[in-house]
Amino acid sequence: MARFIRSVRDARGLDAVLVWLALGYLGVFSAFPLVYNVVISLQTVDLFSLASFERPFVGLQNYREVLGDPVAGTVLWNTIQFVVLSVVFQLAIGFGLALFFQQDFPGATYLRGLFLAGWIMPALVVGAVWSWILAGDFGVLNYLLRSLGITDGNIFWLSDPNVSLYSVIIANIWLGIPFNMILLSVGLAAIPRDVYEAAELDGAGAWQRFFTITLPLMRAPLGAVVSLGIIFTLQQFDLFAALTQGGPSNASNVAQYWSWQLSFQTYQISYGSVVSVLMIVFVVAVAAVYTRSTRHEQSY
Amino acid sequence: MTSPQIELEHVDKHYGHFHALKDINLEIGKGRFVALVGPSGCGKSTLLRSLAGLESITGGTMKIDGEMMNGVPPRRRDVAMVFQSYALYPHMTVKENLTYSMRLKRKPKEEREKAAREVAEITGLGNLLDRYPRELSGGQRQRVAMGRAIIRHPKAFLFDEPLSNLDAALRVHMRKEIRALHDRLGATSVYVTHDQVEAMTMADHVVVMREGVIEQAGAPLDLYDHPANRFVAGFIGSPAMNFVEAAVTEAGDAVALEGYDGAVLPLGRKLEAGRRVVAGLRPEHLSLGEPDKSQFRVGVGVVEFTGAASYLSSAGEPELTVFHAGRTEVRPGETVGLTIAPRHVHLFDPETGRRVG
Repeated sequence: MARFIRSVRDARGLDAVLVWLALGYLGVFSAFPLVYNVVISLQTVDLFSLASFERPFVGLQNYREVLGDPVAGTVLWNTIQFVVLSVVFQLAIGFGLALFFQQDFPGATYLRGLFLAGWIMPALVVGAVWSWILAGDFGVLNYLLRSLGITDGNIFWLSDPNVSLYSVIIANIWLGIPFNMILLSVGLAAIPRDVYEAAELDGAGAWQRFFTITLPLMRAPLGAVVSLGIIFTLQQFDLFAALTQGGPSNASNVAQYWSWQLSFQTYQISYGSVVSVLMIVFVVAVAAVYTRSTRHEQSY
Repeated sequence: MTSPQIELEHVDKHYGHFHALKDINLEIGKGRFVALVGPSGCGKSTLLRSLAGLESITGGTMKIDGEMMNGVPPRRRDVAMVFQSYALYPHMTVKENLTYSMRLKRKPKEEREKAAREVAEITGLGNLLDRYPRELSGGQRQRVAMGRAIIRHPKAFLFDEPLSNLDAALRVHMRKEIRALHDRLGATSVYVTHDQVEAMTMADHVVVMREGVIEQAGAPLDLYDHPANRFVAGFIGSPAMNFVEAAVTEAGDAVALEGYDGAVLPLGRKLEAGRRVVAGLRPEHLSLGEPDKSQFRVGVGVVEFTGAASYLSSAGEPELTVFHAGRTEVRPGETVGLTIAPRHVHLFDPETGRRVG
């Protein structure tokens, strides 16, 4: 016992304890669920077989059935639109704001800080706020559009199958802008000022400085923000729960929400696992790109 | 001499309430090498950055080649700058760094390649053209920064403390190299430094600044021989000039030092009798001698040897530093005699610091 205490105190034992704690945590809460999820996706698991460990192994049968489901096509296309549109607009607006706040004007840092407010709020709260803004009959957005004379009647943002997905996308873009802006601001602040001054003396105008200095030097932060944006967007669940519940009739359903519906609403747990396994494969690929892009960080 | 290439008239610069440049008047002839020197915060860098167009001036006029430059953006001024941090483009190779200005002007590739090779030849970067800045040593980065300026054939080179990030030996070497480059290219150079040795050794014309004001401008040796005031006298020369309070004697042709037993130093010139002054005595002008055959005597506090020379510090107040070429047998605690030639005794007004007589 005394030897054990000594080994903890002289830090070599402590090192091992800390490593095993972290590894144990990862094993129990990340690796095990991940692997178990894959196992479930290869078995028939429903309400009846959930409690027993003897579940029939069906191979790729679940995958064939999920991908053959007519809903799968809609969900895939919705997910692509959700991710691409969210990431593109979050990035463009976030980068624009980051560049804007990089300019030296009074109060720039405080105003930039205010943008974080939206990010601090839980997504469910954000969802509730947006559901009021987007509400069909009493929503603020409809009121605004009508008073400005842009539309005649009310648009049913959350229950019209043609627009419900875009309503969630708009809310998600709003939610993601602060994160993009702050991360890109940090990247911009790391570019030395005199590099811009040298470029200015070399004859570069504002646009040329942006395209030949800012963009290339922002490659790593931009890569990181895009990868994290894709991962966060694929994790976005609360907004769907608060706004449309994937409806009407799957018009705004996306993979992550569908997976939850299959597992915990209709209790087709194997099918839900299949969807999440497919998503994991994609996210791992994105994460690999992300770690690569941060490895090549520029040094000045 | 033809009309000056750079003309500054009554230039003022305010940062809010801070008056960074106060009524600066300066003319720089074509092909001259001018050093702006002074302690940090004296406005020398602000003046250089104003010339580059990176800072706007709040008063006065600034002309390059007779053209009004107030409000003209940096890229239309045709001046090149070498930054203290070098400010190389980290994502570009040496070749791309050098030819960035040509790429912006959409010069054809062959022309860019040729220019890059020429400049690499001049600056000794020949085999480094495909390296990235992070793969270069400090001295090599310095050369890239200079090459990037040279390739443009600008009207003027602006240097902002370019050598302060290099180690001492390399600094001495680059000093000579920059000066040789200047002579070869014949372009006007304005060089900012806080190191008076750099200013003295490199420039044809030294401008000493303090608190936004030009204290004195002139040829390096002029500043050394005839400093206009106590500040310039103390700033130029190393080790720094000794200052001793003194009074002009009754006869008016000598000064009596305060302390050092009222030692009397002849001046070889006439001044108002009884006037209070500050005597400036350069360490290298004080010569050691036998105590009873010298003008005055001091107790020795510290003796330092550098090999080639010895530095003595007196034990008394105010402390005197004496430079002695070669070695000396004098040891701390002994008393030595000091003598100084009348023409080497500088006198300044105790209140204004201005040179007297």
